[in-house]
Amino acid sequence: MTKPTPQNVSAMAEAAGVPVDKETATRIANSIGPALEGFAPIAGTLPFDLEPASYVVAQHLKVAR
Amino acid sequence: MSSEPALMTLTEVATAIAEKKLSSHEVTRSCLHRIAQWQPHLNAFMAIESEPALKAAADADAELAKGNIKGPLHGVPLAHKDMYYDAGHVSTCGSLIRRDFVATSTSTALQRLKDAGAVRLGTLQMAEFAYGPTGHNAHYGPVHNPWKLGYITGGSSSGSGSAVAARLTFAALGSDTGGSIRMPAHFCGVTGLKVTWGRVSRAGAMPLSQSLDTVGPLAQTAEDCALLLGLMAGPDPEDPTASTAPVQDYLAATRASLKGLNIGVPKSFYVDDLDADVAKALDATIATLKTEGADVVQVELPDQRQLSSASQIVLAVEAAAFHKRWLIERPQDYSPQVLMRLQNALAVSGVTYLEAMRWRGAALAAHIAATSGVDAVIAPVSPIPAPTVAESDVGAGPGAEAVIQRLTRFTRPINYLGLPSLAFPTGFSASGLPIAMQLIGRSFDEATVLTIGAAFQRATDFHAKVPTLP
Repeated sequence: MTKPTPQNVSAMAEAAGVPVDKETATRIANSIGPALEGFAPIAGTLPFDLEPASYVVAQHLKVAR
Repeated sequence: MSSEPALMTLTEVATAIAEKKLSSHEVTRSCLHRIAQWQPHLNAFMAIESEPALKAAADADAELAKGNIKGPLHGVPLAHKDMYYDAGHVSTCGSLIRRDFVATSTSTALQRLKDAGAVRLGTLQMAEFAYGPTGHNAHYGPVHNPWKLGYITGGSSSGSGSAVAARLTFAALGSDTGGSIRMPAHFCGVTGLKVTWGRVSRAGAMPLSQSLDTVGPLAQTAEDCALLLGLMAGPDPEDPTASTAPVQDYLAATRASLKGLNIGVPKSFYVDDLDADVAKALDATIATLKTEGADVVQVELPDQRQLSSASQIVLAVEAAAFHKRWLIERPQDYSPQVLMRLQNALAVSGVTYLEAMRWRGAALAAHIAATSGVDAVIAPVSPIPAPTVAESDVGAGPGAEAVIQRLTRFTRPINYLGLPSLAFPTGFSASGLPIAMQLIGRSFDEATVLTIGAAFQRATDFHAKVPTLP
């Protein structure tokens, strides 16, 4: 997902049960857009079997020096 | 021993009380005296509880006279960020919405400090719902930097940074979700420890983002932080995410040498676009660490911008989920900036949020691989010293998010990885504002960053400087 349009934001906010006006939708799109663009190279590329709990496994990886 | 007990470090004053060289009552009076002097300038306290604190101190003295010592903090007065629930007391969380919220249970971290004998002095100011990096608070006013009034403290643990720097409390709990302990430590010139995610129980601490929130101390020294972490760390039945990983001997770690330790300096990102004073402080810190026996080498870290973006996505969505009911029922009771940031999550799909969570383990594994040759990584906490309260008062304006992201640029990636990071004072800017560096360690290895921080503090005196009353 890259930077959403204000129309995208309006539809998502409506679906989330927290509708916003047009001005707010535009502001949200501009505000969170850079984070979504920054994450775009990762989004859609992760291997099938990777799940969030892999983080806890990584926390306990043994480190070799 | 200082003639003004409030100027002592936490470990010094705890020892002095235990050895009956000072009473808890006179120590508490010393803190209250400084609070009375400084509070009108700083706005660091949310609530000052003078009479109950003096009574609790007298009780602690009476117990000690009978030979009963509760623990390593017996009779030490402390105040904490106003988001740690304490049964029967108000925890405003820096908000209008919770202005009158009386907690019915006590946070595990706070309870463990109470069990060690700490005396409650009051509560400390914070950003509304811990969602702001500057120290502004639209409901209770900005907290000021004791080194220069009119300059920010950093947030969200704004009162914690300001009060510890001005020596109004010997230490304070903060919380760090995107930099909220490390930034006040940097801007106010104190030592702050962001712990590994899961190291300290979050039970009874106001949530912001359950995957990123960490509970940790701000204090004068690495040794003080080590004392507090040792008391708080470990599993907790009230918080299943509190890890069972072994708790290290943090105080012993602060007495270790740097010889044989390798410290990495990032080749990019954390050294790019630094204010000249921050760059100078980084170079000087590296030189001191080398002199003290550490080997310093360059490291190539994975793309930190992607980590930062993932961190923002996780934070935004989890925060909005906690706040959704109030977003629907009481949007007018948020400040414009906090409302704006909570609304940002409405543009993030559930799939994108879960992708950011799924990537976290792989990102941490990549970081571990990139830093396998070093024990810790050193980096600035922020590219700049404290800006003024006025210039960073961006509210919900069009440039607000950009200002927030610039301030937190070097802290957010570490929250996403969940690594420990010790922020410690390393100098002052030409205009007299503090500058800190952060030592980023390995998961559940707070001991190593405390070793390095303590060795640096034995060789320097930046942490011992005290601001003067305006």
